[in-house]
Amino acid sequence: MTIVQATERWSPGSSWTTARRLVSKFALALLIVVVLVIAGLTTPGFAETTNYRAILINTAIVGIAAVGMTAVTLSGNFFSLGIGPTVVMAGILFLALSGRTGSIALAMVATVVIICLLGLVQALIVAGGLNPIITTLAFGTIVYGLLAVGTGGEVVTAGSIPVTSLATSDVFGLPMPVVAFVALTILASVLTERTVLGRRLRLVGQSRETGRISGISVLVTTIAAFLSMSVGAALAGIFSAAQLRQMQANDLPNLTMDVIAAVLVGGAAVSGGDASPIRSALGALLLAILSNIMLLQGFAPGVRVFGVGLITVVLVVSLHMIRRAGR
Amino acid sequence: MDDSAPLRLSARGITKTYGSFTALQDVDLELRAGEIMALLGENGAGKSTMVKVLSGLVIADSGELHIDGEVAVINSVTSSQRAGIAVVQQEYSTVPTMSVADNLFLGQGGVSWMRRPRRLQKEAREILGRVGLEHLDPRTEVGDLSVAQMQLLEIARVLARDARIIIFDEPTAALADAEVGRVLDAAKRLAAEGRSIIYVTHRLGEVFEIADRVTIFRDGRSESSGAVADLDVDTVVSKMIGRKLGHLYPHRSDDLGEVVLRGDGFVAPGLKAPVDFTVREGEILGLTGQIGSGASAVLEALAGLRPVLSGHVSMNGVPVNTRSRRAGIRQGIAYCSADRKRNGIFATSSIRNNLSSPWLSSISRVGFIQFSTEAAKANTLAIDFAMDRGGLERSMGSLSGGNQQKVAVGKWAGIRPKVLLIEEPTRGVDVGARADIYATLRRLASTGVAIIVCSSDTNEVLGLSDTVMTFFRGIPTACRPAADWTEHDLVREVLHREEVTA
Repeated sequence: MTIVQATERWSPGSSWTTARRLVSKFALALLIVVVLVIAGLTTPGFAETTNYRAILINTAIVGIAAVGMTAVTLSGNFFSLGIGPTVVMAGILFLALSGRTGSIALAMVATVVIICLLGLVQALIVAGGLNPIITTLAFGTIVYGLLAVGTGGEVVTAGSIPVTSLATSDVFGLPMPVVAFVALTILASVLTERTVLGRRLRLVGQSRETGRISGISVLVTTIAAFLSMSVGAALAGIFSAAQLRQMQANDLPNLTMDVIAAVLVGGAAVSGGDASPIRSALGALLLAILSNIMLLQGFAPGVRVFGVGLITVVLVVSLHMIRRAGR
Repeated sequence: MDDSAPLRLSARGITKTYGSFTALQDVDLELRAGEIMALLGENGAGKSTMVKVLSGLVIADSGELHIDGEVAVINSVTSSQRAGIAVVQQEYSTVPTMSVADNLFLGQGGVSWMRRPRRLQKEAREILGRVGLEHLDPRTEVGDLSVAQMQLLEIARVLARDARIIIFDEPTAALADAEVGRVLDAAKRLAAEGRSIIYVTHRLGEVFEIADRVTIFRDGRSESSGAVADLDVDTVVSKMIGRKLGHLYPHRSDDLGEVVLRGDGFVAPGLKAPVDFTVREGEILGLTGQIGSGASAVLEALAGLRPVLSGHVSMNGVPVNTRSRRAGIRQGIAYCSADRKRNGIFATSSIRNNLSSPWLSSISRVGFIQFSTEAAKANTLAIDFAMDRGGLERSMGSLSGGNQQKVAVGKWAGIRPKVLLIEEPTRGVDVGARADIYATLRRLASTGVAIIVCSSDTNEVLGLSDTVMTFFRGIPTACRPAADWTEHDLVREVLHREEVTA
């Protein structure tokens, strides 16, 4: 009697649910393909190598930051609302240090280390019990204030040091930031999906209490998540600075929202426990494609922002519903 | 209370089934105006289901209700309230950041749409006086109240609703002795006003103090009500016990090994007296008592979730580090909490990921999970714990309570525990899966694990354990081999221990 009941209850899903699961798993990738085809057929100047290159370059900065921040969302720490100022700080540090030391490599390493220390401090505060939204918002404001005071509102450059080489030199036929974006996405995916730490981030994101009882250290997972975010922010800042050759405190005003939008379009659960670096990267890519299409269609900047905002809302809601149906 | 008082509530033939499980079968209940009736019964006997039927949270399959002579249809919380029934909840439904006065009139029709603080406070003061809270300022924030005050406020909220039938659902479970008196006084005062009161409790002492009549639930059936004056503790206890469970419990082991876990003068928050205990290899030690008896405090302290205030705990002769859950896991101490949904499972993860969560580091190489080892180990556990191997990728949240519990217990077998601490092992688990879980625990014990089970279900503790230890209000009261207990003794010991109460 009990045996019969048990088999019924544990029976695997039908082929229909398997199909739904597949669709929901690749929904974002499918959507990108559909958008690419439609845009290629309707928008002049879209289906060209130079335009694809431009899209990828535009995706790289937001994408790198979004991939880094995915760990924060995954571990149940919501988002970093200070990511924009942090990226700008990384950029300014990189330019200033390059100019001061004359070594791009040294400046990169130093920038990553400093931004990671900043992330570590936030992680300790959050693990101590303060709300991550409040903490990161506060740090974002502090960082912005420090930058404004530190630079005196002036533009920072690297002087004669050729930092642009970092943004323009090609690797495997693609610009360095794009290659770094792809490499970072793969690295973050492997770490998230295949390591003990990645699994623990996910578990703690699903249930902090169960995690504690199962012997998972919330301190360790929080630190790991914020370090991941910091590395992403530091690299995004470095490449952004290399592209622009100069930076000031007021740069990249929309970045925080763009990064959060990318993670959300990637289908991350805001409360944690479900997010993937690849999906966040695809989310950033999709938003960049849409922005590019509207630019080519000749929409005014205000209309573009409105359009991207509207599409983000529609996408987040519909992708969420598709994924839930596939469960 | 004499039988001439008019019949307030009459329930006839109430039946409620959940699948193959019958929660209530042909239950009859009568309640007269101005009387206090106590509902007694073991956990799972049907008391809470009956309360839920009356409060509209659960709709009965069959049976009918009459209130003041008229047929009453209760199919929602609103219709229950309209029929004049109010429930004083065990869990507080007050809003901690609002004032006492605001909470009193929260969610009630008939309150004017404009907030008039002065008038609200005046009315609040009058109602508070009726439950013995006349000295409480209605402007106080509820979050600042003591547990007893909150319980009384909960009663006052019901009064503000002017109900004819008031159900008290274990109102004193979390209260200290002195505070219990105030709740009892409030109940008596309400009955004197002519209201009818159903008083659900586990504390027999209270029953004899305030109730006029008693209705006893057992296995989903009700025993016709008798006047309290004609009853004594032993009669009540013998009517409560005797659930027929047949071969639900596995055979006990005959040979116990060496002492694994030993506690000397062990004290933790929630305990008022030191506890001494030993658990042998292959032994299941059962701790039982009511809510707040201190039984679960012992387990939580051993698991590293509460501090150990004094005393000494050793495992195989070596002192145990009880400072954190992680330290416990490293030493081979597994722990399953009572609240599975909150901190026992990862609901959105697969069964496999749930199973492997405590022993991830043992299947990793330089930080990377060895997936084939994980799958193999999860498969082994699935076989051992009667789970279907094909379903390991299913999400945990889609499983029944019983299967979730199998995973929540089974995952710990993967750390090769020396000690397993488990609270309320079959809470929210249907009868069929219960037998599986008992068998599983016994099998774990037979592989040499020392197990401590803590449960408020006396029948379960007696049927499952080798040794049974009882707790009453923070004090360990008795510890004997299970064979030396009768169910009658055990229930009496747990529910009504005069020498401690006195």
